Amino acid sequence: MSRIRTENLGGAIAWILHRPHPSVQGLVRQLGVIGLEVREAWPELPAEAIGADFIFYDADMGHDEQFPWPRGQSPMPMIALIGSEAPGRLKWAMDVGAHAQLLKPVSDKGVYAALLVARSNFDRANASEAMIADLQNRLSARQTIVQAVMIFVMKGMTEAEAYDQLRQAAMAWRVTIETAAERLVANHSNERGKDDGRRVDLA
Amino acid sequence: MASEPRFDRVFARFGAGLFTLGFRMKRVVDIGVLLSRSGMYTALACASRAGVLRGVEEVNVDPNLDVAFRVIERDPEGRADRYAPLCREILKGSNARHIFGCTTSASRKEVIPELERFDGVLWYAVPYEGFEASERVAYMHSCPNQHLLPLLDWALPNLGNRSYLVGSNYIWGWELAQIARERVSAAGGQVLGDRYLAIGDTEPDHIIQDIQALKPDFILNSLVGESSYAFMAKLAQAAQNLSFSRPTVISCNFTECEIEAAGEAAEGLVSAGPWFEPEGARGGSFYEMARQSVHELARLLHGRPGAEGLPLSDLLRSATEAGKSPRLDPTHLHARQPAIIARLEGGRFREIKRLVTMRADPYLTSRSRPTQAGAILKVVS
Repeated sequence: MSRIRTENLGGAIAWILHRPHPSVQGLVRQLGVIGLEVREAWPELPAEAIGADFIFYDADMGHDEQFPWPRGQSPMPMIALIGSEAPGRLKWAMDVGAHAQLLKPVSDKGVYAALLVARSNFDRANASEAMIADLQNRLSARQTIVQAVMIFVMKGMTEAEAYDQLRQAAMAWRVTIETAAERLVANHSNERGKDDGRRVDLA
Repeated sequence: MASEPRFDRVFARFGAGLFTLGFRMKRVVDIGVLLSRSGMYTALACASRAGVLRGVEEVNVDPNLDVAFRVIERDPEGRADRYAPLCREILKGSNARHIFGCTTSASRKEVIPELERFDGVLWYAVPYEGFEASERVAYMHSCPNQHLLPLLDWALPNLGNRSYLVGSNYIWGWELAQIARERVSAAGGQVLGDRYLAIGDTEPDHIIQDIQALKPDFILNSLVGESSYAFMAKLAQAAQNLSFSRPTVISCNFTECEIEAAGEAAEGLVSAGPWFEPEGARGGSFYEMARQSVHELARLLHGRPGAEGLPLSDLLRSATEAGKSPRLDPTHLHARQPAIIARLEGGRFREIKRLVTMRADPYLTSRSRPTQAGAILKVVS
């Protein structure tokens, strides 16, 4: 049968970073019912956990050093297991990067929802970050193109001639316009740098 | 000292006598029944209720079972807000720990907190939409990998790719439509529309017009009770008056107990379920699964005084250790079931396809595999 709304949960690997305790037995049971493979660790996540599909972590006794990645940069969805709703602990749980949470003791309810919510939030956060990085790249590339065009214009070309020159350079070097612009601007800066130096000498 | 009869020996002899006597007398175990005898889905609940009561009668006269059941019954009258208080009343006011009942998912969700608080178990023997595995519920009918998916896998190649979905406006209707939408799309088919009616709403004219305009190959009908009968009556009427060719109606919740209420208009409907009434017998899957549930509990309790107070998972585990083979999967407490597809012809369901007994997959995360070894493909060299 084809996968339906499984969100690829069948056979997915979930690590539970929590000391062995009755309050997480319901979680172990329910993950098994849903079809995930459960692994438990305490007090630290082993390096192999980097390949996990989900991490459940104790928000009550947890600390940064338990994770083999920087704070808030987990490569998979993270679900906080919250006992104490004290603001300090909640802040830590959020800083670590909770994509969803479950209250302890974990019962037979809420686990499936937490998995789907965490996966969705994780995907959305990743998509946003990727989009921001892409926009930043494009923004800086556009500035570089304008700079490259300005170099030609200062040498007496019209704007149209300058764009054409840039295009031909990109074709000759077999690179994108953005990369060609980057090279031209870099070369120009080096020349300017020498000029500036000379000027300093002359002064 | 040595000549005196030892107490434990006397007790053993006396105890054995009691046991023999007790075996014939049966120990009486209270059970609860929470099924509606009025309201919008009376036909369904009454079929379940008749099945439970028949099961109790059979268990009580069975000389091979050392338990007899005494029924503590409450009638929620088809009103969702009555289920929780009545469930609590049974659990607090009697020794009953096992309750047979609930028809809609909405009512099942209502009683689960009561079962948790007052240590009860619900034997739920009607088809449902899955995505649940309460430790307090014995899911004794079937879930989508045992009804909807086999039904669609039959319908798409046999009826056509163009589907239309109708359902009651609550979780059963919504989730079946959702799963159907994904299955139909994955098979390259189309969902031309989906429409919902409130439970009890018998005015489906706008849906009929939609169907006439869109001309689907089949309609998945997940309406419950009166809405369903009204929908099929209007659809048949439209087909007659306006001479449009009526698409085949398929369903995972229409069973024998509704044939009378739906009348002629239901003819030709194709349904999926774990059981259809055999020739010469009476009672569809609502009746039969309720009856079987009572027998299942009796089998689990047989020869084990006090076992009725155990949590469901412990009851199953200890029964397995005692050499019994419970129908419920110990992982998620759903029953193994065959999937049968049948067409309503001349007022009776005729089987058109049967899949072997399979495990439930309530979260649709595992590939369903037949439980019978014979069905597994063998490598032939």
